[in-house]
Amino acid sequence: MSGPRLPERSGEAIRRGHAVTFRLDRRTLTAVEGDTIGSAMAAGGIRITGRSFKYHRPRGLLCMTGHCPNCLVTVDGVPNVRACTTPVREGMRVRRQNAWGSVERDLLGLIDLFSFMLPPGFYYKIGHRPRWAWPLVEPIIRRIAGVGRAPRSEEHRRRDRINLHPDVLVVGGGPAGLAAAAEAARAGARTVLLEEAVAPGGHLLAVQRVEAPGERIDGLPGTEAAESLAHEAREAGAEILLASPAFGVFEGPLVAAAGGEALYRIRARRLIFATGADEQPAVFPNNDLPGVMLAEAVDRLVSLYRVRPGRRAVVLTGSGRGYRTATALLDAGASVMVADLRADPSGREVEEARAAGVRIVPGTTIRRAEGRRGVRIAVVGPVAGGEERRLACDLLVVAGARAPSTNLLAQAGAELSFDERAQAFLPLVLPPWMHAAGEVAGAPSLPAILAQGRLAGLEAAASVGRADDVEADRLEELRGLAAALGDPVVLPPEASTGGGKQFACLCMDVTHKELKASVAEGFDSMELLKRYTTITMGPCQGKACQLPSQRLCARATGGSFPETRPTTARPPWTPVPLGVLASDARTPRRETSIHDRHADAGAEFMWAGDWRRPHHYADPLEEARAVHEGVGVIDVSTLGKFRVKGPQAAELLERLYPNRFADQKVGRIRYGAMLNDEGVILDDGAVCRLAEDEFLVTATTGNAGAVDRWMSWWLADWALDARVLNVSAAYAAVNLAGPKAREVMAALTEMDVSAEGLPYLAVARGDVAGVPAIVLRIGFVGELGYEIHVPSSAGEQVWGAILEAGEPLGIRPFGLEAQRILRLEKQHILVGQDTDAESDPYEAGLGWMVKLDKPDFLGRRALLEASRAEPRERLVGLVLEGREVPPEGSAIVHEGRWVGRVTSSRRSAASGKVIGMGWVPGPLAVEGGSVRVHVDGGEIRASVTMGPIYDPDGSRLRS
Amino acid sequence: MTFLIPCPSCGPREATEFSFGGESTRRPPPDAPAADLARYLYVRTNASGPQTEWWYHRDGCRRWFLAVRDTVTNEVERTFWPGAGPGTEPGVGEAASG
Repeated sequence: MSGPRLPERSGEAIRRGHAVTFRLDRRTLTAVEGDTIGSAMAAGGIRITGRSFKYHRPRGLLCMTGHCPNCLVTVDGVPNVRACTTPVREGMRVRRQNAWGSVERDLLGLIDLFSFMLPPGFYYKIGHRPRWAWPLVEPIIRRIAGVGRAPRSEEHRRRDRINLHPDVLVVGGGPAGLAAAAEAARAGARTVLLEEAVAPGGHLLAVQRVEAPGERIDGLPGTEAAESLAHEAREAGAEILLASPAFGVFEGPLVAAAGGEALYRIRARRLIFATGADEQPAVFPNNDLPGVMLAEAVDRLVSLYRVRPGRRAVVLTGSGRGYRTATALLDAGASVMVADLRADPSGREVEEARAAGVRIVPGTTIRRAEGRRGVRIAVVGPVAGGEERRLACDLLVVAGARAPSTNLLAQAGAELSFDERAQAFLPLVLPPWMHAAGEVAGAPSLPAILAQGRLAGLEAAASVGRADDVEADRLEELRGLAAALGDPVVLPPEASTGGGKQFACLCMDVTHKELKASVAEGFDSMELLKRYTTITMGPCQGKACQLPSQRLCARATGGSFPETRPTTARPPWTPVPLGVLASDARTPRRETSIHDRHADAGAEFMWAGDWRRPHHYADPLEEARAVHEGVGVIDVSTLGKFRVKGPQAAELLERLYPNRFADQKVGRIRYGAMLNDEGVILDDGAVCRLAEDEFLVTATTGNAGAVDRWMSWWLADWALDARVLNVSAAYAAVNLAGPKAREVMAALTEMDVSAEGLPYLAVARGDVAGVPAIVLRIGFVGELGYEIHVPSSAGEQVWGAILEAGEPLGIRPFGLEAQRILRLEKQHILVGQDTDAESDPYEAGLGWMVKLDKPDFLGRRALLEASRAEPRERLVGLVLEGREVPPEGSAIVHEGRWVGRVTSSRRSAASGKVIGMGWVPGPLAVEGGSVRVHVDGGEIRASVTMGPIYDPDGSRLRS
Repeated sequence: MTFLIPCPSCGPREATEFSFGGESTRRPPPDAPAADLARYLYVRTNASGPQTEWWYHRDGCRRWFLAVRDTVTNEVERTFWPGAGPGTEPGVGEAASG
């Protein structure tokens, strides 16, 4: 006899003659185009696709639809890829998972023999006493259990987030979904369809010959029928997104789907769920052996991939469903016996199978399977009890028990009710914007599935204002077809008797016995069992265990199946790579227009909000000294910059700041700190009056966005005749500082930059290095200084010109660290570093700018209260003894008690002493007061200063 | 939290594009008692149902507007510019929360 690959036949999905070679563990497998990793393994005679989660039992292909945990493999380092639905690719490296040694002979398989030591909830029961044992036990458990291994590489692919807003969203691309999409789109509704598989068609794909009288696809092989339906939908204008499973329905309703490289967020006016049904395993001893397969998997292997999954097959069924598979297996050259749960099987499919030569044993069920690394014996016996028979086989097919995939519908708010005929929970009460069609809604046959799909498409389109001209005759005909009833479903017994593990949940290795034990421990409802045993919580999310777990729970608790409701449906319904969920986590990285020059100069960059800013170019202390002694320049383009303009611009600022601006002269600058209505400092900066009706306002780098929002909010509320324009990115700015700064300026501009022409706190416009600029004479770092604002496009040019002009004077660029040192010497506060969410201007030493006599400003009412009492705490300067710089945040202690904290600390460039700022109680805030700073291993003496440590009278600043 | 907010300038957009400004409150006049200030700063109605609140279209037009949103269903009944809706006449002393 030949290998498992069967002769060519129409409708197959593979392209013979197009070989694809890939690695599977240590061997090389040759498949053909169209194969999945799973079908290639089956064609290569490989039955074990992986090892199980807890007991390391061998597992093989079960569902072939990507809905069970049995074939999760690692592909090119990506763990938990479903082998059965992932197409083969030349050169791919596939590793089977969860084995120590080889998957074929996993050494950890021994765990299976010691399973009595691993009862449900063992995680809570073993290794906890003595207490020291758990740290030793936990890593071992974690290493042995689990699914796949997270990749170690830090490579992260950027995924997109795509928002779609169609009229109609169809979830599921089987026959019902495709028919619905075609009708909705044809009626004029903008329609999107989500399908999880790489090809549309759903269960239709595995049908050898479609039976749908009156439909165009009648008599076609399943693959061609699926393509025809998809073509019809596309022609009508529907957009079909393949390999994009919907995994959650959120408020809105918003449907989330995981495309390969994108997260889809879809907000449709109408949702049509055509999610189909999942075939369910039967529970009997060793029901997890490789070779125990669902009928759908056998159909797909035989029809799509032309692989014969076994030579001697036993099929368990309670309906005509199993006979279709039995006939297909017989065609494929296998010998087949059907164990039918019904005492008196009848129907066309039964008769056709019988005529073809299938052996049928009525009233029979599977008692257990036997075998070690694959099924070898099926033990069958009468359903009602009686003598059992042992049958040699290598394939045990379970057919016909199907659970509607209602999870997403339940997430969306559908109410499920038990349907006696279908022995399943069906979504019978739906929100008005939702439709269900096909197997998920209980349709028993292809004509009913298609009719339900078409009806749902038409109804959805009509409800969004399309499809108003459907002929009544056609609707009636569709309704008739859609309402068809199937044969009553006969389910196998909930479980069997006898030795061997009977698995209810394959993902988490939960057995019937463990469920019973858990119920005995008191976890006696479906929701509790789920939490305790983790049943339905594995990678399959209940797709391959819903029916068994509900029925076993019912049996163990003495309830009935209809009373045992499914557990609450939650996203994600399908495992989603974390990278897809992280698709919208974007960290902007902003660079100033001068960035490349900093890089050229060897700057070490640091994050400042979203910005990359130079921390230093060389030794920060030397950079600071250069500013004190000669001249330095720093890029401050990251400052927030706002043009405030309009007849009421001054009025707006009067209300936004505690300072007075009404009497500010054109060409003058005032320092301002912005407060909220609690009187807390939000930000500070310079307010420059450029004209009677125009100001330039700066804000700190980190708060630029918040200040923008804050100013425009109040402007919106007060409705003043003024405009705030955020020009932060439009302007580059540099601060040129040091005793020789004037000389550099003089070389760059024809403006009068003398002490009289442009005095301290003056602002003027003029050309600098040939570029129109606004020049602010401010004391940013405590020396004679000019802040030069130019259009961003000219930032690099002006920076270059300044360095060139300053070269003879020894100019040095300086970074944020030197700036921190220089500003700390002047006791300039850094909002957010030296102040916090409780700091008012009185406490921060900025009381001088508060004009309580103004009629109103943000924070006035709160400051009125604060002004009546002495501040409890004050922000003061500190000069520390010794050379150690205490970490920021260090405690300030006084008389052995914690009284405050250090907020900034650096070594001064000017004096060499360690200086800082910090909060101390009001009584200690006196010049020369003595406190101690607690550091690791001791205390440092510090004296309090109430003014700048450097240039206290500001003569250098004003020079 | 995902729902659509019809921005008065940009039309319906995902809520994630906006910043929330809290419920619309009445800023006490400059001479109001301290208790009024405390109430304005720290006490919220926290309505269960329709509530008028501030929203900022951060990733769009960057403008502030008011929205009447049902806090139970997240349905936004309507949105409007300050001054265009009932009880939100603009003017000093009538303002948003800090």
